Amino acid sequence: MPAAVPVAGGTDLMAAVNAGLLRPAALVGLGRISEIRGWQYLDGHALLGAGLTHARIGRPDFAALIPALAAAARAAGPPQIRNAGTLGGNIATSAPTGDTLPVLAALEATLIIAGPDGARREMPVSHLLAGMDMLRGGELIGYVRVPLLHAPQVFLKATGRTGPGRALVSVALVLDPARRGVRCAVGAVAPMPLRPLEAEQWIASLIDWDGGRTVVPEALAAFGEYVAAACIPDPAPAEDGSPQQLPPGVLHLRRTVAALARRALGRALS
Amino acid sequence: MSNEGAATATTATTTPPPGRSESPPDSAGRLSGPHGLGASLRSEDARAKTEGTFPYAADLWAEGLLWAAVLRSPHPHARIVSIDTAQARAMPGVRAVITHEDVPGTTTYGRGTADRPVFAAEVVRHHGEPIAAVAADHPDTARMAAAAVIVDYEVLDPITDPEQAFEAEPLHPDGNLIRHIPLRHGDADAVGETVVEGLYRIGRQDPAPIGAEAGLAVPRPDGGVELYVASTDPHADRDRAAACYALGAEHVKVVVTGVPGATADREDPGFQLPLGLLALKTGCPVKLTATREESFLGHAHRHPTLLRYRHHADAEGRLVKVEAQILLDAGAYADTSSDALAAAVSFACGPYVVPNAFIEGWAVRTNNPPSGHVRGEGAMQVCAAYEAQMDKLARKLGVDPAELRMRNVMATGDLLPTGQTVTCPAPVAELLTAVREAPLPPLPKDSPEDEWLLPGGPEGAGEPGAVRRGVGYGLGMVHMLGAEGADEVSTATVKVQDGVATVICAAVETGQGFATLARQIVQETLGLEEVHVAPVDTDQPPAGPGCRGRHTWVSGGAVERAAKMVRTQLLQPLAHKFGMSTELLQIADGKITSYDGVLSTTVEEAMDGKELWATAQCRPHPTEPLDEAGQGDAFVGLAFCAIRAVVDVDVEIGSVRVVELAVAQDVGRVLNPGRLAARIEAGVTQGVGAALTENLRTPRGLVRHPDLTGYALPTALDAPAIRIVKLVEERDVVAPFGAKAASAVPVVTSPAAVASAVRAATGRPVNRLPIRPQAAVVTG
Repeated sequence: MPAAVPVAGGTDLMAAVNAGLLRPAALVGLGRISEIRGWQYLDGHALLGAGLTHARIGRPDFAALIPALAAAARAAGPPQIRNAGTLGGNIATSAPTGDTLPVLAALEATLIIAGPDGARREMPVSHLLAGMDMLRGGELIGYVRVPLLHAPQVFLKATGRTGPGRALVSVALVLDPARRGVRCAVGAVAPMPLRPLEAEQWIASLIDWDGGRTVVPEALAAFGEYVAAACIPDPAPAEDGSPQQLPPGVLHLRRTVAALARRALGRALS
Repeated sequence: MSNEGAATATTATTTPPPGRSESPPDSAGRLSGPHGLGASLRSEDARAKTEGTFPYAADLWAEGLLWAAVLRSPHPHARIVSIDTAQARAMPGVRAVITHEDVPGTTTYGRGTADRPVFAAEVVRHHGEPIAAVAADHPDTARMAAAAVIVDYEVLDPITDPEQAFEAEPLHPDGNLIRHIPLRHGDADAVGETVVEGLYRIGRQDPAPIGAEAGLAVPRPDGGVELYVASTDPHADRDRAAACYALGAEHVKVVVTGVPGATADREDPGFQLPLGLLALKTGCPVKLTATREESFLGHAHRHPTLLRYRHHADAEGRLVKVEAQILLDAGAYADTSSDALAAAVSFACGPYVVPNAFIEGWAVRTNNPPSGHVRGEGAMQVCAAYEAQMDKLARKLGVDPAELRMRNVMATGDLLPTGQTVTCPAPVAELLTAVREAPLPPLPKDSPEDEWLLPGGPEGAGEPGAVRRGVGYGLGMVHMLGAEGADEVSTATVKVQDGVATVICAAVETGQGFATLARQIVQETLGLEEVHVAPVDTDQPPAGPGCRGRHTWVSGGAVERAAKMVRTQLLQPLAHKFGMSTELLQIADGKITSYDGVLSTTVEEAMDGKELWATAQCRPHPTEPLDEAGQGDAFVGLAFCAIRAVVDVDVEIGSVRVVELAVAQDVGRVLNPGRLAARIEAGVTQGVGAALTENLRTPRGLVRHPDLTGYALPTALDAPAIRIVKLVEERDVVAPFGAKAASAVPVVTSPAAVASAVRAATGRPVNRLPIRPQAAVVTG
């Protein structure tokens, strides 16, 4: 247990403290570091402060910049949570259902981490989410560097109710016209957002990038199936070689991923 | 769910009941402003509650108080080998640690049978069962000390499938079968031309009160103890506590604090009893405020139910016979499962005429969390099943589902499957007609795109092309007051002094509006404007629990009688002086006038500084228990409701949004239109939760996600537009005001209506509640 735990919005941390799951000896509030509560532009990228709240990210001026992140932030919970919860906190908690995480994964965002004595290092967000790299003692997430793509982006989330709720499945999809790429990430079905790389490359090769950025309608449905199969693979065949059925709940999850990916691509290209 | 907050969010979309306004249409015409019965009087504490200044039990404080914590079992089924409290006792700040060895009186309690230990002694039978309790000078110390109690468990295999409970080893000395009712009514050999069958499962709804349990116990100098809790049945709680503490009932006093939401029996005795024990042991006031997790673990839930049905009908769709098997999962302890089973079996056919009925019901013990009284228990589960059967029958016969229902509805004079004749008003046909004829909400294509809330919410994944609309119907019924011979008596006192009336009655204001109603009754009877309702404690005579519309009926009846007795005391001397009977005198606006207006005097003058008191009781006509064939006049009265649900379903991902619920309800008489609409909205919203999202999951007997993120209550966005299209006012002659219970029947009916609408939208069978997304998906 570290001697002190940093706290920003506290929407995850304080819930754990109140439930008696966590008893930090001390808390260090990050709320007054105004430097990380805004954003700035840097070489075609945006440098987002880790202290940006979901409410701030959800506003129209930010939505014009990174629409998918804004949509994810607006879907992230009731207003009380969005007013307090921060981007950095969402990354640090790394919950499977963290709403901004698939967007950051699809955008291939980079974390800029501040360490003791002014040390600074960078880490792709996917490395932290996958557990390939971790925050060390005394380190804080300072900024998140996100490319500005100037193209449609979509975030879609399926929940159990009409009001705010935990994602059953979420899909983030961004177009990168400069690199003629489509990048997609699926959240909530696995401990970290999943990237269906082959499906991305396949659909990018079908898009008419120089014309109206369209694909044939059949390709939308096929993309959805491709993404779903990548995230929730078919079960291994039985010993006698007969194909196995997914359990009904998992099959439903897979259909939902397919529907969301298809809808997301359709909206991005429309 | 106790979700009054979410429910009131829909008020704006509700049309006021027809023919009712703020001014009272009082036949007697004694009062001019919004007073008396029929007026939308506001609750006296509404402002304080809205502003957050209303003191609940969690806000109480006493000098030198200690904090309590309860250690609960992490296992659903285990043998306790040993309990070592030495380490916990040695912690600084800990003042007392108690276990089953420290219970001086009876060690078990229960609402029906006393089968539940105060603290588990040898065996734990469900996740969250109390094992020990601690009092310490700080809440954190108390929690840590509770965690430091070392319990050596021998973990046993839990029995969590109620179907296995019949064959399994007894989980309790009383056995695993809590009650079995084999109802037989009519000709067993009758068959219909058309037969439909179905298997239905209803999940575990939690009452989820907005305010979690809390209490304060204060020792008295005479060796007794006072409990300050949000009890809904204070006298029963007092008797239970007195037996547990081995004290006389006069040495235990329960003082009722503000009740933060109650759609079930409130305040779990699992912490209430230890609280008093700790106060007696330490000699200090002891307080406990439960966390949300403890609240989910501690209180009783709605019975998860498995139902198997076979309906026989003739070629025209008239019901010939209903066969059903109903299995209630009572959890580890009996609680009120016997009552829930009686309701489930008696109402298994619904408000339909069924000449032959063979219903078998069981309530069994498992290692799941205990089930108990939650609004509409028993009746809600069977309603979902019999309405699904009606839809299935309509589909098989090719008849409109509402038309099929219309051909079978019961009316006054028909028989229940229990052999009891329905003597109260039963305007079921009128209710169904009202919801059928109500205009449908506009289709999405007729409303602007940005105003259309898609399933999945404003930021959800909904796509207009994948959304299908469905319309479905539900007809439901509940009984009022306790059944099967329960003595449903209540006592009330009315006092008048200096032109101000005070009502003293131990009926707890749980949000149902009793305190407001009591004021209205006294205003109506005595013509006084200023009426107060005294806070409730057990020094007052008992009024019984607040459930099934009891307090409007028996406590309201008692208040009216007491008020009438005061009226007679007040008018008798005058009537004698003027040589006329008291009936010819009227009281209005502080004046007493004779029928012809010749004589007039002020109330103040007539009172002449006197203080007038009267106490009265109200006891409804007796009922009888169901016999071994499930027959008997078990119910005092019945209430009915018809709901038409309109839903939008995203058929690719299975998300459902309830667009509108049109409600027509049999209310007997409207006593407070504003309050009545609020109760119906609250009930409907609780039903929508049961239909779509509310299910406390307990895989292998362990409660999963006991928090309000995992357990999804309806929010303002989930609550549909609730349109009260008709309130049928046909007075029930045996009820004191002719009024019927209003809160429970919408809870019972709305889940069935929502499921019916989802069935209509998707063509899927929808045989499980809450409706899972995969059950609402249309593939291919």
